[in-house]
Amino acid sequence: MKSIEIIGEFFIKFFSNLGKFTLFILFFFKYLFRPKFYTRNNFSYFVFIFISSIPIIALTGIFSGMVLALQSYTGFSRFSAESAIPNIVVLTLTRELGPVLTGLMISARVGSSIAAEIATMRVTEQIDALKTLNTNYYNYLVTPRVLSLTFALPIFVTLVDFIGVMGGYIVSVHRLGFNDNLYLINTIDFLSLTDYLSGIFKAITFGFIISIVSCFCGLFSDKGAFGVGSATTNAVVISSVLILSSNYFLTELFF
Amino acid sequence: MKIEVKNLKKKFNKNLVLNNISLTIHKNKSTIILGKSGCGKSVLIKTIYKLFTYDSGSILYDGKYEVNIDKFSMLFQYGALFDSLKISENIAFTDYINNKMNFDKKVFSLMNDVGLDKSAFSKYPSEISGGMKKRAALARALYKNPKVIFLDEPTTGLDPINSDKINELIIKVIRKRKITAVSITHDIKSAIKTGDKYYFIHNGVIEDEGDCKKILKSKNKVFKTFVTGGKY
Repeated sequence: MKSIEIIGEFFIKFFSNLGKFTLFILFFFKYLFRPKFYTRNNFSYFVFIFISSIPIIALTGIFSGMVLALQSYTGFSRFSAESAIPNIVVLTLTRELGPVLTGLMISARVGSSIAAEIATMRVTEQIDALKTLNTNYYNYLVTPRVLSLTFALPIFVTLVDFIGVMGGYIVSVHRLGFNDNLYLINTIDFLSLTDYLSGIFKAITFGFIISIVSCFCGLFSDKGAFGVGSATTNAVVISSVLILSSNYFLTELFF
Repeated sequence: MKIEVKNLKKKFNKNLVLNNISLTIHKNKSTIILGKSGCGKSVLIKTIYKLFTYDSGSILYDGKYEVNIDKFSMLFQYGALFDSLKISENIAFTDYINNKMNFDKKVFSLMNDVGLDKSAFSKYPSEISGGMKKRAALARALYKNPKVIFLDEPTTGLDPINSDKINELIIKVIRKRKITAVSITHDIKSAIKTGDKYYFIHNGVIEDEGDCKKILKSKNKVFKTFVTGGKY
């Protein structure tokens, strides 16, 4: 009997949170189209995301490209297809690894910080204070974060793509003995606009997912230090799971 | 503004926090809500402020159900200052976020009223003491010239000397600006000093009420136990 109660409670909580999340997204769009933009807040948040994320983005890009070149060589050299390495590196990065790895890294770096900041604001009554100061928290907290991250992620992915290709180039030319001109020509010739745009579309989707999930987890966190901790963890875990699962459907879309 | 609360009930899940609460907050008077931690005091004032909804009962503001909460202000228990903004930006928050930049004069005047040192103007909340935070939060609450101010445990976390100073400041501000005040406190000394009428909440109901100046003469046993600090 007890176990049925636990299962029942789990489902009630799950569907109640799902309902809350759906309403949260609907309210976000409602206030997005009836906006009151706090320009200072929007701009400063965009700058914050940019400055705090660039180093990890650069590291993610360069090492992914380098590893990809080495691993592809291991496989392709077995049937003398080493010349496909530049194509594989650029295609894998732009269509797949760039957006997914950037999404995961940003959910850990920015998503966790959004959730922790908003949850702390909730615990310390700053969200209530916003209401008493006639400030809508969707306009003041949610919209700047969602818009900043949704616009920032395509830029980050472009950077990861570029730096990753450069990483692959460095390893292929200096470690595997590829001809440098030929490597670059193969990379550029093989890449089509659709490949790049499919990655950018994924980036926009992931940026929206990370920011909206993190804002939701922060705003509906439980009270106390435990509440802030679990809001942060939930934000990263839920964002990551949604990134990986939606990635499949987006890949199907551009297949 | 006169506020009348009638038979107010508020639940959180299955937990009945406010059970048939009825009270009157008189215009330009200081009303004190007393009660032990977790008895529903903060929920009550947040419900009156319309930050929470309620399950049944009614709240009338000057005889009407509707009210513009622009006339209200709140001093939160720990100040609830925005960490990422300077003290001056916190005080003039609504003007600051709407890019109205000529608020310095008004902020300095309010800082002077609440006894906040001018050096705090450009500091962040993490750089000032608890007493200064309370003063800054009070200045922020007064910035929009409210008709009703809600004070959630204004002296919590302060030493007796600073508590006294904050109490005196609250009396001064309420009288000077002719504001209706609703305060939550555990501190009987503060209640006697700053209040006109008190309500004592116990287990979600109003157990006792009366004149703050006669607080120590109350014959209610539960309230007497609360005052003297024994077991209920």
